Amino acid sequence: MKEKIYKKEIRITIIFSVLLLLTGHSASIFVLFPGLQQGTLWGFPIQYIIPILLGWFGIAVVCLIMTIVCNKFDDEMAEYVKTLAPENDPSTETKQK
Amino acid sequence: MPAEYALSNVWIGLGVVIILFAIFYAVGYFSSRKTASDEDFYAAGFSIGPVTNGLGMAATWASLATFLGVIALILRLQVPFVYLWIQWAISIPLLTLLYGTSLRRMKAFTPASFIRQRYGKPSTVVIVCWMILIMVMYALGQMVGLGQAFELLFGVPYNVAIVVAGLATVGFITIGGMYGATYNAAFQMVVMTLAMIVPMGAIMKAMGSSGWWFPPLAYGDMVPDMIKNIPTFFDMKYDFRWYFALIPAFTLGPVALPHLAMKVFTSSSVKSARWAVVWFALFLGLLFSGTYVVGFAGNFFTATTGRVIEKADQTILILNVFYNPTLVAAFVMGGAIAAGLSTIGGNLMAIAGLVGSDLLGIIAPNMESAKRMKWGYAALGLGGLAAVLMAFNPPRFLVTSILWAFGLLATTATPAILLGVWWKEANKLALIISSMICGIIYIVISPHVLPSICVGSGLVAALGMSGGMVTIPLSFAMFIILSIGFNRMPALKAYAPTLADKQVIDRIHGWGPDYDESRYNGITWPLIISAFCVVVFIWGLQPW
Repeated sequence: MKEKIYKKEIRITIIFSVLLLLTGHSASIFVLFPGLQQGTLWGFPIQYIIPILLGWFGIAVVCLIMTIVCNKFDDEMAEYVKTLAPENDPSTETKQK
Repeated sequence: MPAEYALSNVWIGLGVVIILFAIFYAVGYFSSRKTASDEDFYAAGFSIGPVTNGLGMAATWASLATFLGVIALILRLQVPFVYLWIQWAISIPLLTLLYGTSLRRMKAFTPASFIRQRYGKPSTVVIVCWMILIMVMYALGQMVGLGQAFELLFGVPYNVAIVVAGLATVGFITIGGMYGATYNAAFQMVVMTLAMIVPMGAIMKAMGSSGWWFPPLAYGDMVPDMIKNIPTFFDMKYDFRWYFALIPAFTLGPVALPHLAMKVFTSSSVKSARWAVVWFALFLGLLFSGTYVVGFAGNFFTATTGRVIEKADQTILILNVFYNPTLVAAFVMGGAIAAGLSTIGGNLMAIAGLVGSDLLGIIAPNMESAKRMKWGYAALGLGGLAAVLMAFNPPRFLVTSILWAFGLLATTATPAILLGVWWKEANKLALIISSMICGIIYIVISPHVLPSICVGSGLVAALGMSGGMVTIPLSFAMFIILSIGFNRMPALKAYAPTLADKQVIDRIHGWGPDYDESRYNGITWPLIISAFCVVVFIWGLQPW
C-alpha cells in the first residue's frame, strides 16, 4: 500500500512538473519545430497567441487538475496514515529517548 | 516628435494616490488588530482563503516592472520578451507542487525555516544571507521605481519623492504584518488589473480596433497593420538555446523566492494552498495579457503615428495621457504604484521573516512567540528604512536587474530546497560548498562585476541567462555528487544527514509517523539528473 502511494506521489509530481513546464515554455516548441509557425488564430500568428493562451488558460487548467488530483492524493495518504498505530512513530521514540 | 508623459492636472494624480494610501493604511490598521502572535505576523495565522490568497500571490509577483519595465522591453525586443514573461506564471504553481505544500504542512514561515530543520544552523546562515541579498536587491529596485514614479507624477525632486513615498509605504506595511500585506495585496491586484485592462479598451477603440471590448485577447484585427509597419514584430528572433536558457534562470530562480513561498504558507490548509494557485493562474494571466497588449499597442502607436516614445518604460502612461482623460491616466499611475507596493510588501515581509524568525531562531531558539513577533516588527520596519536610505544613492551592484538576481537565487538556494525536500542524501557540507562556490562563480562570470570574465554577451549576459545556464546545472550536479561522496566518508560523518533530518522529509510529505529509510533515498535518479546537468553546463559554456 505505502509503496503504491509513494510511487503515485512521485508520478504525480513528475507529470505536473512537465505539464507546467510545457504550458509555460510552449514558445520553445515553435522554435524547435519552425514548421509549426504557420497560420493564424483570431487574427494572431499562431506562434504568438498559442503561448499566450497556454500561459494563461493552459496553466490554469493544469493547476485545476493538479489541485483535484493532489487533494485526492492527500486524502489517500491520510487514510493510510490513519491505519498506522502510534507506537510506530519513530519521532516519538526519539523524543522518549 | 517625441511623446512625453505629463499629467495636465497634478492634483488629480495626488488625489488618486492619497485615496489609495488611505485605503492601504486602513487595511494595515485593521489587520494589526488581528496580529497577536508570530504565526499571525509571519503567516497571517495560516488562515487565508483561496481567492484572497490567489489575488495576493498574483499581486506580490506582479511588480512595478509589469507596468513599466516589461512594456519597455517589449517595445525594444518585441515578441521574445513576451515569451520570457509568460513563463513567470508557472513559478508559484511549480513552487507549490515541488515544496510549497510540504513546507505548509510543517507550518514554515519562510523556506529558510525548512533549511534550518533539514540542514542545521550553518547552512541556514548561508541560504538566509543569499536570500536577504536578493530580497534587498528586489525591494531596492521597487523603491527606486516608486520614487521615480512619484517624481514623474508630481514633478517633485527624486530625493523628496523617495522620502515621502518610501516612508508612507514602509509605514502601512509595518503596521499590518502578513495580514495587512495579504489583504492589501489582494486589493492592489484588483486596482492594478483594472488600471491595466479597462483604459486599454478606450485606447484600442481610438486606435481603430473592434476588439476594444476585451483588450487582453481581441486585438487580432490590428495585426495586419502591425506586420505592415513592423514586419519583424512576431519573429521569434533567437535560437532554441535562448528559449531553453529561460528555464534555469527564470523558472528555477523564482521557485525559491521567499516572498512568493510565504504566500503559499499563509493558506488556511494544504488543500486551500492548491486552490489558491488556480485563482493565481487566472488572475495573473489576465494582468499579464494586459501587459502584452500594452507592449503591442506601444509598438503600434510608434509605427502608425510616427511618434517616438523616448522613455520606453513610460509607454502605458504615455498612451493613456495621449488617448484618455487625465483622471484615467492618474488611475493608471495609481495601478503602477499599487504593483510596486504589493511587491515591496512581500519583499519586506520576507526580510522580516528571514531576519526576525530564521536568524533570530538560531541566536535565540527559545524566545517566546510574543517576543519573536516584536522582533519581526522591528526587522520589518528597519528593513524598510534601510531600503529607503539605500534608494537615495543605491550601490550600482544592487540595482542590477532583478532578473539577473533570479539566476543567483536559482544557483544558490533552489537546489538546497528542492533536493532537501526530495532527497534524503542531501548533505549539509555539500550544500554549503556548492551554494557558495557556484554563487560566487555566477557573480564573477556576469558582466556586472568583472566584465572581462563573462559568459555570453549583451542581453543574455546582463539578464543572467548565459551565466545561469552554467552555474545552475553546476550547482545541482556539484551538490548531488558531493553529497554522495561526503556521506560515504567517515571523516565527514558529522555533515551527513541524521535520522532526525531524514524523518523531517517523510513527515512533510504527509507520511505522519510512518518512516521508511528507502523512501526519497536512491542515488540512481540523482546521478541521472547530474549527468543531464553536466550536459546543460557544457552547452551553456559554448559561445553565445
